[in-house]
Amino acid sequence: MSKTAPLDRTPTDWKAAAMQRRIRKRYRRERVFRLLGLGAVALSAAFLAFLIITMVANGTRGFMRTEVTLPIDLPGAGFEVRREQLDTAGADLALAGAGLENLVKAAAVQAFGEGGEEMISDKAWLTVRDAIKSDPGLLTRAGTVDVPVATEVDQAARGSASPEAEAAVARLEKAGALTTGFNPDFLRNADSTDPTAVGIWGALKGSLLTMLVTLLIAFPVGVLSAIYLEEYAPRNRWTDLIEVSINNLAAVPSIIFGLLGLAVFLSFMNLPRSAPIVGGLTLALMIMPVIVIAGRNAIKAVPPSIRDAALGVGASRVQVVFHHVLPLALPGILTGTIIGMARALGETAPLLLIGMRAFIVTPPGGLTDPATVLPVQIFLWSDEVSRGFIEKTSAAIIVLLAFLLAMNGLAIYLRNKFETRW
Amino acid sequence: MNDATPTQHKMSARDVSVFYGDKQAVKNVSIDIDMDKVTAFIGPSGCGKSTFLRTLNRMNDTIASARVEGQITLDGEDIYSASMDVVQLRARVGMVFQKPNPFPKSIYENVAYGPRIHGLAASKTELDWIVERSLKRAGLWEEVKDRLGDSGTALSGGQQQRLCIARAIAVDPEVILMDEPASALDPIATAKIEELIHELRGRYAIVIVTHNMQQAARVSQRTAFFHLGNLVEYGETDNIFTAPREERTKDYITGRYG
Repeated sequence: MSKTAPLDRTPTDWKAAAMQRRIRKRYRRERVFRLLGLGAVALSAAFLAFLIITMVANGTRGFMRTEVTLPIDLPGAGFEVRREQLDTAGADLALAGAGLENLVKAAAVQAFGEGGEEMISDKAWLTVRDAIKSDPGLLTRAGTVDVPVATEVDQAARGSASPEAEAAVARLEKAGALTTGFNPDFLRNADSTDPTAVGIWGALKGSLLTMLVTLLIAFPVGVLSAIYLEEYAPRNRWTDLIEVSINNLAAVPSIIFGLLGLAVFLSFMNLPRSAPIVGGLTLALMIMPVIVIAGRNAIKAVPPSIRDAALGVGASRVQVVFHHVLPLALPGILTGTIIGMARALGETAPLLLIGMRAFIVTPPGGLTDPATVLPVQIFLWSDEVSRGFIEKTSAAIIVLLAFLLAMNGLAIYLRNKFETRW
Repeated sequence: MNDATPTQHKMSARDVSVFYGDKQAVKNVSIDIDMDKVTAFIGPSGCGKSTFLRTLNRMNDTIASARVEGQITLDGEDIYSASMDVVQLRARVGMVFQKPNPFPKSIYENVAYGPRIHGLAASKTELDWIVERSLKRAGLWEEVKDRLGDSGTALSGGQQQRLCIARAIAVDPEVILMDEPASALDPIATAKIEELIHELRGRYAIVIVTHNMQQAARVSQRTAFFHLGNLVEYGETDNIFTAPREERTKDYITGRYG
């Protein structure tokens, strides 16, 4: 004890130069660290802004289309469909069978001169068909219909295209009024080979149905697994093995789950190919480990004193879990679920393997109909050579991001609703 | 029922040992607990008094590594026998914990929870009455009667602990176990709890674990001194504090260790 520093050591000099230097150095480190943090935040904000601005700049055009006013005279052209036929189920067939497509092309040639049929969209006659169905008067008198223009003309009308397309625009502007407006068909249609006629609704509905299946399977199974593992399972080698397996499953590349889905749901269980139910089941397998891990952590974070309190008044284990533990863990479980669902929503690779990359022109009617999903649709469109698909791709990305934001918003709302104030 | 004692004790422990894995935390403890009495368990930290307390309503069941040997009876019935329903046991032997642990729900819901899960109230009126009676017995009614819908966690520490006591007595227990109920409270709140223990004594058998010897002397009629897992001495509180038989008890009470 006597060998330690002498008691009469000189008092610390807080004003000494070395001490001042140390203090200045400490402040400098604080500043540098804060600036680094700020820089990181600014950089990520800049990336995000860049992404959003690019998408919005390209994508808003994807929601628009150029239309031209096409004068059309059905009785004059000898078009023979009676009014009563429009009310029957075979109306579409009757109109198509009477040669509406050729008639519309002829009307375009008549209105805009030589090559006029090339200037309007291949699918323009469908617009005319729908116009007739909503206004049967067109069968008995001459009138006009706003029809979408061909892709090249559409591009030219907005500034960038070949000289002949520019010329076409000039001719159209002279003949009939060119208008650019919101394209409602983009939110109604499914995939198409013609970029002016494509729609996102098929993929959006496919995504909705797939997410529904994923949520209905993964949420209850994941949460119940988490509860069992955390509250009931004994601690032994088996539960350790299960825990390690679940942690590893959460990190398995998603395409492996696609192969699993292919082998189990399509080859073994013979479920329909390209269907939302198979996609949903495959994605449910993929995100279940995420929900189990998040759920276990949330359950673990519930203070043991609450369990003691409930047990102490004679609650059974099930009552402890469902009356106290689960409500308190729910915000955490929801956060984990939403992370999993967001991952599932953006997933492409496993869905390619179970056939959801097929070219599907009608929105799915149910869980077993062939469908595609938003990210796969984006992937398919980005692969197209036609220029018109570039902006459609961006528009589809905007729809996907909006879907994601809506889903996250709902989760945040639910989390705040269930959050307990201590 | 088998080893019938002339006067039936409320709870009896015979040669009770508790193990955590290989470590023995409580060693061959035998003790009787009676109605209308407050029994205090005192002893230095880690002496097994809280562990032993938790065996009396089988709260140790939740710890996977804990193992209990020996026999504990409630009204002559072995509480560790297969026929004993642990949920009912915990309703009959209530517990108040060291840290106030109200549910993050309203004051009313905190007290009503026990009666509700055991189906003790036939109607809303009856449940209201149980809640009011429990809060009154816990000495909290006057302070909270106008805000029964407020969160139980918004109360002060002392009020929270009295809420926990109200919650425990709402299911009409016969025995109340208290694990250092005042150790997290300030002196005024502590005094209120001690006063409350006095008032509750006639109705329930109360067992209280405490670090505070003055508290044991103030509230209890009987005191048990635990040391290193052994029950060193058990007797009338007055005798323990004035004329302990054992040297170790005397050393502890006079502050030689602990």
